[in-house]
Amino acid sequence: MSAAECQRGKMAALRAGLLTRALTKGKTPAISNIILGTRAASGPSKDTLPGAYPRSPEEMAAAAKKYNMTLEDYKPYPNDGMGYGDYPMLPERSQQERDPWYQWDHPDLRRNWGEPMHWDFDMYIRNRVDTSPSPVEWRTMRNQLLGFVGFMLLMFGLGEMFPCYQPVAPKQYPYSDLYLERGGDPAKEPEPVKNYEI
Amino acid sequence: MATYKEAPLATRPKTLDPAEYFNLSPDYRRAEEKRAALRAQLKRQYLQQLNNPHRKELIEDPALTRWTYARTNNNYFRPTAKTSLIGGLFGVLPLFVLYVVFKTDRDKREAKIKAGTYERPYNLST
Repeated sequence: MSAAECQRGKMAALRAGLLTRALTKGKTPAISNIILGTRAASGPSKDTLPGAYPRSPEEMAAAAKKYNMTLEDYKPYPNDGMGYGDYPMLPERSQQERDPWYQWDHPDLRRNWGEPMHWDFDMYIRNRVDTSPSPVEWRTMRNQLLGFVGFMLLMFGLGEMFPCYQPVAPKQYPYSDLYLERGGDPAKEPEPVKNYEI
Repeated sequence: MATYKEAPLATRPKTLDPAEYFNLSPDYRRAEEKRAALRAQLKRQYLQQLNNPHRKELIEDPALTRWTYARTNNNYFRPTAKTSLIGGLFGVLPLFVLYVVFKTDRDKREAKIKAGTYERPYNLST
C-alpha cells in the first residue's frame, strides 16, 4: 500500500473515531468499539488463535508453528465444514495411556504446558473415556456381551409369547361361593353351588 | 529389554517402543530430535515462569486458550451437504417423528377410553 493510501486510511479512521465519540458522548467505550469493529489489545492476538483451514504449504507451516508441532506431525481435520478450521488432528488416545511416572507439568491431566490439546480433551481426561488396552480384545468383549444379552432377551420374549405353567382352575369357595360373606341377603335362600363332579 | 511385556491394561511406553531401537534411519532420528527440541523449549518457558520469584499472576497457557477458542467459537462451520444432513437428521427429524409417534399413541388410547375398552395398567384399586 502506498503512503498516500495509508494516510487516507488513517484520516478516515480518525474521522470515524471522532464521529463515534460525538455520538456516544458519555457512554461506555464498548459502544464505540462495536461501531468501529475493534478489539481490546489485552487478550491473545489473532495469529495465536485457531484460524481457517490451511490451503498453501506456507499456511500449513505457520499453523504447525502456531500449535507448537513439527510440520510432519501437524495434520488438520478434513475441510468438510464441520467447524474444525486448522485445529490439528491428534491421535485418539486418552490421558490414562500416558506415562504415569514422567514429571508432567500438570500431573492429574498428564499434560505439559503448551502441548497441543486434543479436540476432545475434556472427554479423554482420566475420569472419563479411556482408550488403554483391555484384557480381552474389544471385539470379543462386545460380541460376548451382545450375544448374552440378546439370548436372554430372546428367551424372555419367547416365554412371554408361549407361557408354560401347571394347569390351574378358578378358585372354589365354600358356603355357596361365600354367599353371606359377600353381602348376600340372609333371609333369602342362595342357589346351591356345586364345585365337584362325581 | 527384548522380553519386555507391557503391564496389563497399559500401553507400551515410548522409550520401550521397538521402533526406537531398531528404526535408526536419519529421518526418524531428525524428526524425533525436532519433537524433543520443541518439548524442551516449552518446558524451559514453563519452568522459567514457574520459578520466577517476582511472578504474582497465573501462568497463562496459550494452548489452552486456543483449545477453548476453537471449541466455543464455531467460526468455521459451513453448511455443506454433510453438515446439513446431520443437522436435519438430529435436529429436525426427531421433532416430526416424535410428534407423529406421541400423537398416534395418544389418539389410540383416547379412542379406547371412549369405547370403554381401555385397561388401566397400573390401577391399584380392584
